[in-house]
Amino acid sequence: MAVAAVSFLPAPLEPVRPALLTRVAPVTRLAVGVAWLLVVVLPAGPGVPLMLAIVAVLAVVLLSGLPLGRVPTRLAPLALAALGLGVLTVLVNPANGDPTAPAVIATGPLRIAAGSVSAGVTIALRLAVIALVSLLVFAVSDPTRLADSLVQQWHAPYRFAYGTLAALRIVPLLAADWTAVGAVHRLRGLEPRGVRGRVAAFGRRLLVLLVTAIRRAERMALAMDARGFDADLPRGVYRPIRVGRLDVLVLAVGLAIAAAAYAFGR
Amino acid sequence: MAPAEETLTAPGEEAGKALEDARGPADRSPVLAPDLVAEDFGWQYRGRLSPALEGLTFRVPAGSTLLVIGPSGSGKSTLARALVGLVPHEIAGTWSGTLRVGDLDVAATPMQRVSARAGIVFQEPESQLVMPRVEDEVAFGLENRGWARDDMRARVPDALAAVGLSGFERRATAALSGGEQQRLAIADVLAPMPGLLVFDEPTANLDPPGMQHVFERIGEMAASRTRTLVIVEHRLDAALPLADLVLLIDDAGRQMAFGPPDEVGRAHAALLGRLGSWVPRAWAPWAAPSAGQHVADGRRGDADGTVGGGEDATAEGMPLATSPAVPDAPPRLAGRQRGRDRAVLRAEAITVRYPASPGGMARAALADVSLAVRPGERVALIGPNGSGKSTLLFALAGVRRPSSGTVRVAGPSGLADPARLPARDLARTVGVVFQNPELGFVASTCAAEVAASLPVAGHPADPSAPEVEAALRAFGLERLAGENPFRLSEGEQRRLSIAAASIGDPAVLLLDEPTFGLDRRGADAVVALLDRLRDRGQAQMMTTHDPRLVPACDRVLALDAGRVVFQGSPNAFFADPPWRPAWPWQP
Repeated sequence: MAVAAVSFLPAPLEPVRPALLTRVAPVTRLAVGVAWLLVVVLPAGPGVPLMLAIVAVLAVVLLSGLPLGRVPTRLAPLALAALGLGVLTVLVNPANGDPTAPAVIATGPLRIAAGSVSAGVTIALRLAVIALVSLLVFAVSDPTRLADSLVQQWHAPYRFAYGTLAALRIVPLLAADWTAVGAVHRLRGLEPRGVRGRVAAFGRRLLVLLVTAIRRAERMALAMDARGFDADLPRGVYRPIRVGRLDVLVLAVGLAIAAAAYAFGR
Repeated sequence: MAPAEETLTAPGEEAGKALEDARGPADRSPVLAPDLVAEDFGWQYRGRLSPALEGLTFRVPAGSTLLVIGPSGSGKSTLARALVGLVPHEIAGTWSGTLRVGDLDVAATPMQRVSARAGIVFQEPESQLVMPRVEDEVAFGLENRGWARDDMRARVPDALAAVGLSGFERRATAALSGGEQQRLAIADVLAPMPGLLVFDEPTANLDPPGMQHVFERIGEMAASRTRTLVIVEHRLDAALPLADLVLLIDDAGRQMAFGPPDEVGRAHAALLGRLGSWVPRAWAPWAAPSAGQHVADGRRGDADGTVGGGEDATAEGMPLATSPAVPDAPPRLAGRQRGRDRAVLRAEAITVRYPASPGGMARAALADVSLAVRPGERVALIGPNGSGKSTLLFALAGVRRPSSGTVRVAGPSGLADPARLPARDLARTVGVVFQNPELGFVASTCAAEVAASLPVAGHPADPSAPEVEAALRAFGLERLAGENPFRLSEGEQRRLSIAAASIGDPAVLLLDEPTFGLDRRGADAVVALLDRLRDRGQAQMMTTHDPRLVPACDRVLALDAGRVVFQGSPNAFFADPPWRPAWPWQP
């Protein structure tokens, strides 16, 4: 049952051809990504996220090696969220109520200030940049490579990095458990009534999930320890990640773009 | 023989070469097979009132294979964990006596030095695989032990070849079948070349083909005598032929016997039966005199033996393996209340499609399946993993709506589509018992657990209601009314789950692997309960990989790749061999 659930997960989005960014260490992309996210959340107009979004789209198309046909499907939910939040920000904005602010639309009860439009566009573009950056950081290489790179380049504790990987493996199993628990509760005739009933039902479901999650984690930890995970020896490296001039270049260009966007986009 | 195995040296050939280093041997030659010595070894988990193991004394020579046999709760898995150092180094409790792996005293040696010598394969593949890709998974244990990259590059393909998974290097571990995952787990522990391999019920979660593959690999290792092997198994017929020595433990964790299989079998097969363990077929002649006595003889320390509570003795003490098959005989009429010709469960041409899997096409999990189950009929639903058994069960229960076709069940107000019934009506129509009963538990005591289902029958959910007491007594759980459901044994959990599902008196009971993980006593108790419900006219359908359960059913429905490939009596199923190569089942 659990196995079946895992095999029906959507195929992972991963590069299908060699590309410049696939040759860069995951931590290099992570560092640039974090810098971009910091810049994009700084208070500024739509210019900053707009410039970064354009560069990010170009990077995805030209440098990521990702199958371009599948990227829009993957980004669709986030794009919808960005659009929705943007529209909402335009419609529900304190600036609309200010009669002195310049208005774009002023028909009857509907009055939309220019400032609201700018704020809405900024919000939507920020979300777009976050989505594109996460694609460039997490889809261009798999989680294993990111963990390897964190351990090898940044000397992150391997227990943390690979322990997280092991935990990630359990997530789909827990998702299957969650569905099964809901089904079995319905089959037992436990249909929640009213808000309190629903809250209680949710709590019951969560509790069972928590218990099974802890048991799975315990078994996993025992199996990992039996394979020497806690041996505290200098660890061997099966998948070396190399950092070279290309990484320096990508890091420099990436940071420069972030700085330029902030300097000229405001 | 796999290439990796040929490079191994025989025990003793390079005596003294075994390194003490936790990394394993510096020259990456195999650690020599150790002998195993226990002297009055015992272990008590912290917080438990009685020891899990007590007074084990044995010596297993290097390179031989030990099979550990005992009923549920006998501490077999505890011994497996002690042999690789998890007990006492990762688990809290009290150690007594001595256990040695080669020259290492387990209790006095750091865990990593023990684990460098000894690998363990657990029951559930999904809880022991760490990495998303196959080759990374095999390399994980080598990285932990600080192997050089070139050594790892050379070793990973060898370890995969040794379990028949050559060419699987780049595959996703999650996309492997259960049998493949378990063979990968064996490759994982083989890779660092340990001298001792411990298998803790390695095939419990596998279908018959997966089980056969795994036992073939273990058999090759046993025959090569380059490693000491310890096997803990319920499936004794497959494991016994591999064993040089057998250790028999009783339900209190005490050593009952130790010696060559035939010797132990001749002297103790009857005892094994009385303890409630499965008895291997090869020992049946020696066990025969006491067959059927296991419940009555007073050894009922474990609640699994108290089913029926004396109030209904019809099925008590009847070993599952000899349950009479009534293949083509007309259904029994006694106690039938719901009219015998009208099907209470009917599926017509149901097809269930799953969305496209990674890199694949959309596939039908079920294709054009039709069936009808009459009151008082029990149907075994069998087939390899992934053949659609669970999907069919969920479709029949109304949990998964078929893409096409119809499902009808006889509810309180006539035939209905289970997917459209309100939950309360559904629970009075179809009962479902999951393979893992814990998923359905909602309360903190057994009494409250049963009471939670009372609203289904129109009563308030009161744990002190007389219905609760009656149900607990009927299912042999009255002693456990105040116990937390999560703390019960697997057999008790299964029975509690059936008790809760039975409150609404559903006309149809669907069960997913009802005897999974149970010893004979536990399985007998579950089957005895099901017999009683069936005799009252309930229709039952159960998925199972357990060939011992099939003769206790009236009809067999075999699925393969989502299609019905066989439908008929158990006798016809076992007589007609076309699927035998794929399903190595024995009646």
